[in-house]
Amino acid sequence: MSLGTLDRSTPPLFNQGPSALSKLIFFSALALFLMVADARFNVVRPIRLAIGTVLYPVQWLALKPVQAVAEGGRYLEELQLAQRKEAEARRALALQSERAGQADVLASENARLRALLELRQTTSTPGRAAEVLYDSADPYTRKVVIDQGVAQGVVAGSPVIDPSGVVGQVTLVQPFTSEVTLVIDRDQAIPVQNMRTGARSVAFGDANAHGGGLELRFMAANSDVQEGDLLATSGVDGVYPAGLPVARIERIERRADSGFARIYCQPLGDVNAARYVLVLTPVGGQGSAAAHPAAASASAAAAASAATTPKAAATVVPGAPAPSATTAAVAPAAAASGAVAKRTPPARATRPANPVASPTPAVPAPSAPAARPRTPERRATP
Amino acid sequence: MIMRPGQQQLLLPVSPIFMWASLVMALLLAMLPLGRAAWMPDVLALVIVFWSVHQPMRVGMGAAFFFGLCMDVHQSALLGQHALSYTTLSFLAIMMHRRLTWYSVLLQAPQVLPLFLLSHVIELAIRMVGGGILPGWTMLVAPALEAALWPLASVLLLAPQRRTPDPDANRPL
Repeated sequence: MSLGTLDRSTPPLFNQGPSALSKLIFFSALALFLMVADARFNVVRPIRLAIGTVLYPVQWLALKPVQAVAEGGRYLEELQLAQRKEAEARRALALQSERAGQADVLASENARLRALLELRQTTSTPGRAAEVLYDSADPYTRKVVIDQGVAQGVVAGSPVIDPSGVVGQVTLVQPFTSEVTLVIDRDQAIPVQNMRTGARSVAFGDANAHGGGLELRFMAANSDVQEGDLLATSGVDGVYPAGLPVARIERIERRADSGFARIYCQPLGDVNAARYVLVLTPVGGQGSAAAHPAAASASAAAAASAATTPKAAATVVPGAPAPSATTAAVAPAAAASGAVAKRTPPARATRPANPVASPTPAVPAPSAPAARPRTPERRATP
Repeated sequence: MIMRPGQQQLLLPVSPIFMWASLVMALLLAMLPLGRAAWMPDVLALVIVFWSVHQPMRVGMGAAFFFGLCMDVHQSALLGQHALSYTTLSFLAIMMHRRLTWYSVLLQAPQVLPLFLLSHVIELAIRMVGGGILPGWTMLVAPALEAALWPLASVLLLAPQRRTPDPDANRPL
């Protein structure tokens, strides 16, 4: 047998480098440093972005076979199923076109009424459509990755909605992709307003619920909430536009041993299977548009902000189930935003100028409980 | 060289290109967007352990650390979580590599099971400290599946080294 054909070779006697244990200690310490820096001090974001950029072609490659299989599955979809889906889409379109016609009338009417009342004009929220690439495989969080990044102008903190409601918030922007933390993630909080009573509170993610849900915390045991109440964004956080549907209250446990009720909610957005979503610009980032009255009024016409009652806004929400009509669904969402804005003008007026400086979801949490206790007092006097 | 008679076989030297290509393929497999399933076996961990056992002089903790960072970025997990768990895996694999190759492939599988179990326990502990949610009992399936894939990985990844050094008409490969 010729030389160099055997795997077994004598290990080098002296030149062995550092021992395995010292290497383990070094790399473990490095990993621990990275984890603490990542979780607490936010200083390793450049490393993450660099690795993400290098990794992007590999991710793209890994995505292709799965996408091909999914496309093939859709190609072989039953004819009946496709026809049924088309009929549903047409029904939803008919419903929405009727509402869109109303919205134009209501928008002009609302603009006149707002001018009469000398209220601040509402602004439209520009959005961009994005496709969900994949669910993040990390089983400890609830995140998805979308195909829009810095190159497309996405900013961290942007709300992400789908045709039926809020899905989540952009928490990390890579050059070509973005990570969206879903509303059902445990660390995600979203300030909401009960559309029936007007009471503001904060909904926290509750990923342990079956399929993922939300929990309305810190509501008094005797607070006025009912099963089936619609929760929409309150707009006091300066990130989410007001009036986007978030969740519906599913179950309420009022316990004798606790001062608070446990309120479980079902998200309205399709958090587990959304394919196409809309990334909105955070409200706080739109200060320039609001500064110019002309631009604001022009966009107010586009935003179908209306003199609808909250109840009307609530009925808009379930009427938009077609997942394909992403752009058409912006209209009901914007219509709802007008409704809430009209109800709570002081909250919108006192909104901080640029509160979206930090994209972490912890931003809305402290601001909303501060606003919350005022509301029950107002409601308590009939 | 002491070898077990009858079962152990003289192997060709490993091709570094094949070794690194298999690691990148494993990374690609681990990155397949198959949804959020806690029971999904971590193919990358399996291949890292395999090469740490069979080529401890070439694939070590540095490579494991780097691939762990890649997984962290891809999964948008805490940066360093997979890196720590893969480094530990590689260390333990290097510690046991002389003993492990002494057994047959089927007997090796139960011996690497504790390694994979430990790596998942490390990840779970990190995430519980960092405030994650419990992924459920199905995550216990993942180390068992990884250990069950060990014989398959051994056959596949050692196949190029089992070729004959001088092929002829009877032994074309």
